[in-house]
Amino acid sequence: MLFVVGTIIFSLLAIVPGDPAELLLSTGGGSATAEAIANLRATMGLDQPVGVQYVSFLWNSLRFDFGTSIIDGSSIAQNIALRLPRTLEIIAAGTVLSLLTAIPAGTAAGLRAGGRFDIAASAVNALLTSVPGFVVGTLFIYLFAQVLGWLPAGGYVAFAQDPVQHLRVLVLPAVTVGLHLATIVFRMTRASVLEMRGHDWVRTATAKGLPRRLVVRRHVLKNALGPVITVVGMQLGILLGSTVLVEFVYNWPGLSGMLVTAVEQRDYPTVRSIILIVAAIFITINLVIDVLYSVLDPRIRLQ
Amino acid sequence: MNDFHATPSRRAVLLGLGAGLGALALPRWTMAQATGGTLRFGLSTFPPSLNPFDNTGGAANTVKLAIFRGLMGYDGEGNLLPEVAQSVEWESDTVLVFVLRDNAVFHNGDPVTAQDVVFSLGEITKEGSSAYLKADFAIIDGAEAVDDKTVRITLTTPSAVFLNLLANYCSPVISAKSTAQEVIGCGPFRLTGQEKGVYIEVAKFDDFYVEGEPGVDAIRFVAYADENLRYSALEAGDVDLIEYLPWTQFEAVEASDGLNISTTSGPFMFLLFNVAKEGPLQDPRVRQAIGYAIERQDVVDAAFAGRGAPLFGLPNPQGSTIPLSDPAAEYSYDMEKAQALLADAGYPNGFDCRLLATATYGMHQDTASVVQAYLAMIGINATLDLPDWGARVTQGTEGRYDIAVHGTSGTFNDPDALFSLLYSGNPSYLQSFGFKSERIDGLLMQGRAETDPEKRRAIYQELYTAYYEEAPQIPLNWRTQAFGMSAGLSGFRTLPGFLNGSSGFVLDEAKLG
Repeated sequence: MLFVVGTIIFSLLAIVPGDPAELLLSTGGGSATAEAIANLRATMGLDQPVGVQYVSFLWNSLRFDFGTSIIDGSSIAQNIALRLPRTLEIIAAGTVLSLLTAIPAGTAAGLRAGGRFDIAASAVNALLTSVPGFVVGTLFIYLFAQVLGWLPAGGYVAFAQDPVQHLRVLVLPAVTVGLHLATIVFRMTRASVLEMRGHDWVRTATAKGLPRRLVVRRHVLKNALGPVITVVGMQLGILLGSTVLVEFVYNWPGLSGMLVTAVEQRDYPTVRSIILIVAAIFITINLVIDVLYSVLDPRIRLQ
Repeated sequence: MNDFHATPSRRAVLLGLGAGLGALALPRWTMAQATGGTLRFGLSTFPPSLNPFDNTGGAANTVKLAIFRGLMGYDGEGNLLPEVAQSVEWESDTVLVFVLRDNAVFHNGDPVTAQDVVFSLGEITKEGSSAYLKADFAIIDGAEAVDDKTVRITLTTPSAVFLNLLANYCSPVISAKSTAQEVIGCGPFRLTGQEKGVYIEVAKFDDFYVEGEPGVDAIRFVAYADENLRYSALEAGDVDLIEYLPWTQFEAVEASDGLNISTTSGPFMFLLFNVAKEGPLQDPRVRQAIGYAIERQDVVDAAFAGRGAPLFGLPNPQGSTIPLSDPAAEYSYDMEKAQALLADAGYPNGFDCRLLATATYGMHQDTASVVQAYLAMIGINATLDLPDWGARVTQGTEGRYDIAVHGTSGTFNDPDALFSLLYSGNPSYLQSFGFKSERIDGLLMQGRAETDPEKRRAIYQELYTAYYEEAPQIPLNWRTQAFGMSAGLSGFRTLPGFLNGSSGFVLDEAKLG
């Protein structure tokens, strides 16, 4: 599967117009002579035939050798190793935030569907669903950084360098990622709880005098969580590719931002490597979700 | 099951949240005091490369000027002065002698010698180099180290602008001990750390040759690609200084007590034409008609929030060594004249064409939209083509357009700075595709080889006329370029005119608090 992804991305990049050497030497609208561009192309190794480039790309990928950026010669593997954890960090922080808020809220709304809390929460939820992340991000920056001055407008500080500052810059991106995920988790939990609530085993559990808290936890919520996990898993994969706007808005130096810059600069080896890595992670997450699902629901285990 | 249920009350949760946010908000003040000596500079993009001799954009050039300096440089008012050199003298029309500063040392502690200067020039002119100034430095006949501190450079022809070229950010003096991995400069700051795409840190170089400079202990360059976030970061106090202040925020900065602005009219916008393609645009009258058909103030208002000025003739920079003007060789907004010229050329009803710009830069796209609307009024139906910047450059180089919008700046304040835009010997996406004029090429060559100021003025006055008559480009407008900075920062400002991209020269004068 990765071979297919690799070949597709190699072909696409070969077709996309734009010359990395010319682009690098004309950053910001400057000019460069044809000779300088040709010399830089040779330095970048782009003067070789496409076939040769493709074979060396396949061979290097097989050996997990991602090579170096053609723009500045830095190690691609090192750059990815530096940036991937940061993207995973906002995704993880956002996911935890969304699960912590949306599952209790969704459960409460589902248990008393049509109640005042349900109506209010569903309304807020509908509003948040329809506002894109970058709008939320821009509003947050305006409110929390420019008006109130509570948090930095964006950027990144390494945890080891300054843990408190690290958390401060993490808050807004994590909440922005979390908000969107929370709306999905909320809807899913609410619908699922609503469905489970009507089942006869719930009525039986209530009838035999179990405390309501226990009924909800053991009989409603546990069964309702299956679909929620599936959805969260799918969203995690999608988030890997779609945190780009959040990273851009908050200047968070993650993998998505690196990918966008690499595409802009036509840094072919970097683009290929990042896409291969993201594809590999996506495939892995799907596998893990399938396994997790079968653990939760014995009915779908392989006989 | 355990019976121990800690059910937090609503009050406890709110209290906890409040305390958490409070704790996060506190360190802001302690931070501000701790970083008193570090200037935090918000760049528009992360420098793709710090290769000293390549031109890889404004952000890279600013950082390079913090680390590297060349024989010549500029002061804050844009005056050309010896930099690493202590003095410079013309021995004859074509022979220059530089005496280096006694106290100039590289970041590794070695003194800057004449041999290093010869080495640096050789790196630019050598076979296979991608140096920005390689073509310009082809006039160097030879460079020799007379003694440790004296360099003699011989040129093949006299040059009025060679000293300006030596002051370019792509012409630093680097140590002959430099390697591809470690380039050793002698600028006011030395590189101490960087993370690709995120930040670059430089620290004050204690042995810098100017007494008492630099004024800050360190500079942390942070890339903010989004212009609005860059401004937010300035307003929120995350950074002290930003480049390319968005035009829409000029007013807010001007009105603010805590922020200052430093502006210059440097870069300009213009139209290019594919004249290799059979059709109306090959006729200079059609190109002139377009020059008369556009209300330039509308471009300034729509694309630059009113921050700029219409440009009616050859883009001779602000503060130019040779002021030029000629009302007879300047455009105006005159629809009747535009229609008359079109009719003259045989296209009274206009024609269809493709207008190339880029969606990557809002100002290019907005400029194109206004141009498109005005072209429609004289019957020219332009279809917008808005690829990303990378594809835009390639389409420009390959001539896949009819009309193209572009914006750029020169590198020093002299009409010769327009050489690369107009000289057909070095075709690039900055020039009208296929355009060639022996008259313009000849004037450009004469202008740079002439050292007598009066004769140069006459040459460029003629170029001013030729630019109008042959219409290799249609000038649109100047745009105002600004740095935004906190009120606590002093000493840093933009250099005037085309030198706006060389403002890194005054980074060593910047002081905080």
